[in-house]
Amino acid sequence: MAMEMQHNWVDVTDTFRTSCTELKLGELVHDQYFGLFEAMSAIEMMDPKMDAGMLCHQSHLVMGFDKSINAGKLKKRNVLMPELIAIIDDTYACLVTWLEGHSLAQTLFTNLYLHKVHDVDDRQVKAFSIAMLKIVDILREIVSRASVFEEEDFQPLTYGFKMAADISEVRTIGMVKEIEDDIQKIVKSTRSKQGENRDAQTTAQHSEASALYTRLKFTRLLFVTLAGLNKREDITSTVGDVKKYLNQCKELLQSMLTSVDLGVQPVPTQDTSSTVTYPTVMGFEPLVNQRLLPPTFPRYTRIRSREETLVYLDKLMSRVEHVCNVVGCSGFHGVLDFMRDFSNRESCVLSRSVLQMLYMPADKMVYAVTPIAEVLRETARNFICPPALMPKSSLANNPLTKEHVDAFIVQATRPFRALLQITGNNRARQRDKLAHVLDELSNLQDEADKVDAFLHNLLIKSEPQRQHLACFGSWVLCHVIQVMIQYLLLGFELELYSPHEYHYIYWYLYEILYGWLISVLSRADGFCVEYDAFVAEQQKGRNKKAKKKKRQRPYARDITVAQAYQNLSGGLYKALAGFQLEGRQKKPMFEFDSEQVRYEHRFGPFGSVNTPPPVPFEQCQALLKVAKTNFVVMKLLASGHKGDSKEPPEFLFTPHKAFPIIRIT
Amino acid sequence: MTGPTYNENQDVRSLIGSFLCTDKDANLILGNCQEYIYPPEMEPKEEPRALGLAMIPGHHIVSVHLDKVTEDEPRIQVI
Repeated sequence: MAMEMQHNWVDVTDTFRTSCTELKLGELVHDQYFGLFEAMSAIEMMDPKMDAGMLCHQSHLVMGFDKSINAGKLKKRNVLMPELIAIIDDTYACLVTWLEGHSLAQTLFTNLYLHKVHDVDDRQVKAFSIAMLKIVDILREIVSRASVFEEEDFQPLTYGFKMAADISEVRTIGMVKEIEDDIQKIVKSTRSKQGENRDAQTTAQHSEASALYTRLKFTRLLFVTLAGLNKREDITSTVGDVKKYLNQCKELLQSMLTSVDLGVQPVPTQDTSSTVTYPTVMGFEPLVNQRLLPPTFPRYTRIRSREETLVYLDKLMSRVEHVCNVVGCSGFHGVLDFMRDFSNRESCVLSRSVLQMLYMPADKMVYAVTPIAEVLRETARNFICPPALMPKSSLANNPLTKEHVDAFIVQATRPFRALLQITGNNRARQRDKLAHVLDELSNLQDEADKVDAFLHNLLIKSEPQRQHLACFGSWVLCHVIQVMIQYLLLGFELELYSPHEYHYIYWYLYEILYGWLISVLSRADGFCVEYDAFVAEQQKGRNKKAKKKKRQRPYARDITVAQAYQNLSGGLYKALAGFQLEGRQKKPMFEFDSEQVRYEHRFGPFGSVNTPPPVPFEQCQALLKVAKTNFVVMKLLASGHKGDSKEPPEFLFTPHKAFPIIRIT
Repeated sequence: MTGPTYNENQDVRSLIGSFLCTDKDANLILGNCQEYIYPPEMEPKEEPRALGLAMIPGHHIVSVHLDKVTEDEPRIQVI
């Protein structure tokens, strides 16, 4: 960015200083549109908290690749085995730190060898460095394509560094395999033979070579695995191989853990006051990229230790192996449940991204093979057996039907796709996004109702005893309610509610949401059973020996689960109402607070939803008065047990995140 | 003019930006500020670090230069 301008610098220092003294205290000379408000966002120079450039001139001189070679601080040939083990272990530590959300500039690119791989003469360092660059590139691509990360999860910026794109995958694997084979020869030649005693040096050489061998093999397998996961084609058949590699990686990691002490350890520096630099081995310079960082306050990155790194990598392999099981899920709902469940566990941005990419590697194509619209049509059919989609129905053959249903399904793809992506975000971000998707889903619901009405009119003309009311509508409604329930329950998990708010949250769940969910599932159930009866009816005429398949109510289990949650919420709501009325619940001073405002804020996103209709605050209050008579139950419970205590009750959120055990104190 | 506490430090940098604001203590605010470790005319050409909006406390300013060609690009040398 060299500017070819001619400068004519005139020294105005003295004039400047003298003029400044003529100003009064607090008086400013400023540009026309500039004021103190804008001045607030200026970074202050010479303040270590805000001036990242200051640190470059700390205790030691910061040198890049070339300068370090010239100064003799960096070796580009004849790197010894313990040195290489250390470089590998520390590079993986940087990789893990990056995956946890830090910048590449302060993690992997503190490894100077990664700056200029082609200038490195040592074949082992070169092969490893190229492999690492390509691994980082693939990881970055997977996470970027999935787009389920925010700035707190991951930083994809590569700061213009070259990622060895000129070297092919095959060549990289070949290079690492070559080195692996060379090291293996050393391992074999230094192995303890029968009757022979090895000297200390040979024994040490053997351990070091073995450690190096496992690390290089791990690197190669990791690369192959990630390359396999980054394909844009159908990998349902190759996912078995991926899982095999992951297991092999885990085994190698166990071995690497036992040899983690063989690498050269960093020498502690005298400068212990600095919080920015930390002791490193040859090959690393923590401050080398400081000037590339944005001018915001300097961020100090703590690189993980070598042991922590290996443990993390092991868990990561397990997580990725688990998400590979998504290919076994049946239908869209099965996949959605799988993704929701995984989001509930300890996940990471990489595993969540892999999960998203496994299911939809290419835009709108499930497993890169089936368009999502088709999958959704299948899902709706399986959910509620709407006559418009069922093969035996006259309605399905009507071209008008196809037109309307297709338009509806196309409109459904966006919000349903969003439902999948939401599960890929971290838990905190999910709540915001759920509120947004509710808007889209409620529009879809209106559309669904219109399509249902139209199809119903068509149907009764040809088959007067059947109906098509609220088929697609129920399907969308089911998802709307599930999103609303999730939204409220996430509030508990993220600890957003105060105890004095619990009662109306649980009330909403008990009275409105779970109630509606049960009725929707029952309706879907009814439709499916009706369809089966209809088919049986038709078959009876043709084949007298038709076996009567008694189809079990498909949603029996789901309905029972919903009823259980409903009762749980109901019980908690009544208990909390009781506590409130007994004066045991701390409430904020209503002089500075309005319960109505809080209530409306908590249920704000539900305002856009037509079904179920949002419940106004007044109705909730009225029902609270009803609970007054019901709290006799709670009183009985408390009568013989610390009835005089005015202590607030304790809410224990184990074993479940949203429904606590109440302990009376 | 150097601030007494930073005498030992070898930190000398040049900042180039458009003049936006100053006050009695000669604290200076520059817009679109770029940081050079060596003076910009020196060979080899150095890649500046973009800072954006920067405030330099008056007591750290060593010198102020004005570019007569464009007229509004003070160059500050800081210790």
